[in-house]
Amino acid sequence: MSKPYTLQELLVIAVAKEIHDYENVILGVGLPTTAGALAKALYAPHATLMMESGIIDFKPLLPLNHIADAHSCRGFSYATDLFSAFTMTYRGFVDVCFLGVGQIDKYGNVNTTAIGDYYKPAMRLPGSGGAADFMSYAKRTVLTMLGGNFVNRLDYMTSPGYLEGGDSRERSGLFPKGSGPCMLLTTKGVFRFDDVTKEIYLSQIHPRVNVEDIKMEVPWDLKIAPDLSETPRPTDEEIEFIRNFAPAQSAGRELALELTVANMMRKAKVI
Amino acid sequence: MKEPADKIMTAKEAIGRFVHDGDQLVIGNYTVGSCAELVYEVIRQGKKGLTLYSQSGIFDVEVLVGAGCVEKLVTTYVLRAGGKKGGSAVERALNAGTLQIEDYTNFDYNARLVAGMHGFSFMQVLEGVMATDLFRKRSFMGEDKFRLIKCPYTGKTIVTVPAANPDVCIVHVQRADKDGNAQYWGAMGSVAAAALASKRIIVSCEEIVEHDIIQSSPHLTIIPAYRVDAVIEIPWGAHPTEVLGYYNIDPFMYGLFMMSDATADGLKSWMDEWIYGCVNRAAYLDRYIGRFGSEILDGIRAKAFYSAPANYGSAFTTRWDREGRERFMGLTMAELEKTFQERGKLYE
Repeated sequence: MSKPYTLQELLVIAVAKEIHDYENVILGVGLPTTAGALAKALYAPHATLMMESGIIDFKPLLPLNHIADAHSCRGFSYATDLFSAFTMTYRGFVDVCFLGVGQIDKYGNVNTTAIGDYYKPAMRLPGSGGAADFMSYAKRTVLTMLGGNFVNRLDYMTSPGYLEGGDSRERSGLFPKGSGPCMLLTTKGVFRFDDVTKEIYLSQIHPRVNVEDIKMEVPWDLKIAPDLSETPRPTDEEIEFIRNFAPAQSAGRELALELTVANMMRKAKVI
Repeated sequence: MKEPADKIMTAKEAIGRFVHDGDQLVIGNYTVGSCAELVYEVIRQGKKGLTLYSQSGIFDVEVLVGAGCVEKLVTTYVLRAGGKKGGSAVERALNAGTLQIEDYTNFDYNARLVAGMHGFSFMQVLEGVMATDLFRKRSFMGEDKFRLIKCPYTGKTIVTVPAANPDVCIVHVQRADKDGNAQYWGAMGSVAAAALASKRIIVSCEEIVEHDIIQSSPHLTIIPAYRVDAVIEIPWGAHPTEVLGYYNIDPFMYGLFMMSDATADGLKSWMDEWIYGCVNRAAYLDRYIGRFGSEILDGIRAKAFYSAPANYGSAFTTRWDREGRERFMGLTMAELEKTFQERGKLYE
């Protein structure tokens, strides 16, 4: 039995396994960068890690503060601009990208812009950034939802999943064949999309969670994979890598913030 | 070309001369190393009615909106402080009806500046956006947010965005010479396009360097001197954000800002202290060191990791070889002039 791990470590690993060797990967900040670093170290040493800011082929030494963070690596191979990072995606050179989710519907369409009315939002979320274009043209999109919700109808559709399901994404003629979300990770499980209907279903469940917990958060009758499995236990090697590389990621956002604020307050007093 | 001697000035002079009420103002930096001191000076001078362009709004957009400088915002991404329970100046202004926002994707926003930079009237963007509310929901740009055309070659429907040519760009870079050749490296983002699309360009930099430095590394120059109106040397000019090769982000000051930004009152008192309360960047640094010491700043100074020099050398720099003979014709100057004479080439 491997050593004890945190839920956040389990999440990073689940995402990292979506990166295959020799793939071109667009990373976002937070969990995806840690996953990218882990994948590059353990599973996919020849993956090319990229960010929309034009930082191409980098090896993160520290968790990134944002997607233009050249301070977290020691140089990189190709410094292009944002415009070219997206046209490169449009031309089909990006295998997999990672995006966060505010709201998601049954067919993997995503809102990261606003909760409530767009013009007078109950909660203004960050917006698209690169999300809509990446989800349109990367071959696969891995979605992570750590604080968001499943909804029947998005308040704002920022990024296109499988539209109305079935072959509607393909029929629209707007997207490359076979593109779209391939996985959604939440703090409770891993979801995938049916090959034909494109409806999201529960594929893996994390430890200490039961199916009913998850069904309660989904406002439609969530389908469950017949071969539903438990998310595999991390290995010592994986746990050690993440804990060394991104200790705050291991701690999770809330605990890390609490400890950081306490440390800041201590520092402010000493100074 | 503008007179070089006139370009070196203070942030106060530059913002006073080149940023006007009602202007379209673009923040040239993207997510990293924002032009903090130039932004603060816009706020201190109480500029009003701006249409602000920002590729990725971080604390810079928050303080400009919080200070009431901005009427319209064109962006792709905004900051939110304090998660679900928190808030942002943008969210508060939208709800108060004092701000209108036009949301684009990163590419669409950048494409508008790239069109503007090259003198085109529009740019083709990626058609996937048609399936989203970015395309459907429009604010002050209305019909002109996106328009569809038919490709004359393939017959396909193409989505376009209109060119943007902001009145003025403010941007912070690593170094520049006194003429305004601005060198920037790291995450290229959309920095060059934002500057080059603009009618006026204000450059602040960590250091002003000799022209020789620029001339031996032209691949680092993203804005040429002839386009630049003002050059201001401002060490720590991006603080609390970072400048590659100079300093990292200051998590302490950025943390203080994030804790304040969640409420209007919090943001106001932070701005009172760190923007309105400091006449310029030197005063800001004095206050910072006075309150917190210099330990934090020392801790975020970059350790050098130099780029390998690119060799711009060539075999020779004169047409005359070591023996004083012209390299093609093989003659010395005296022999050449004698030949001119003999062939009747010289006019007396």
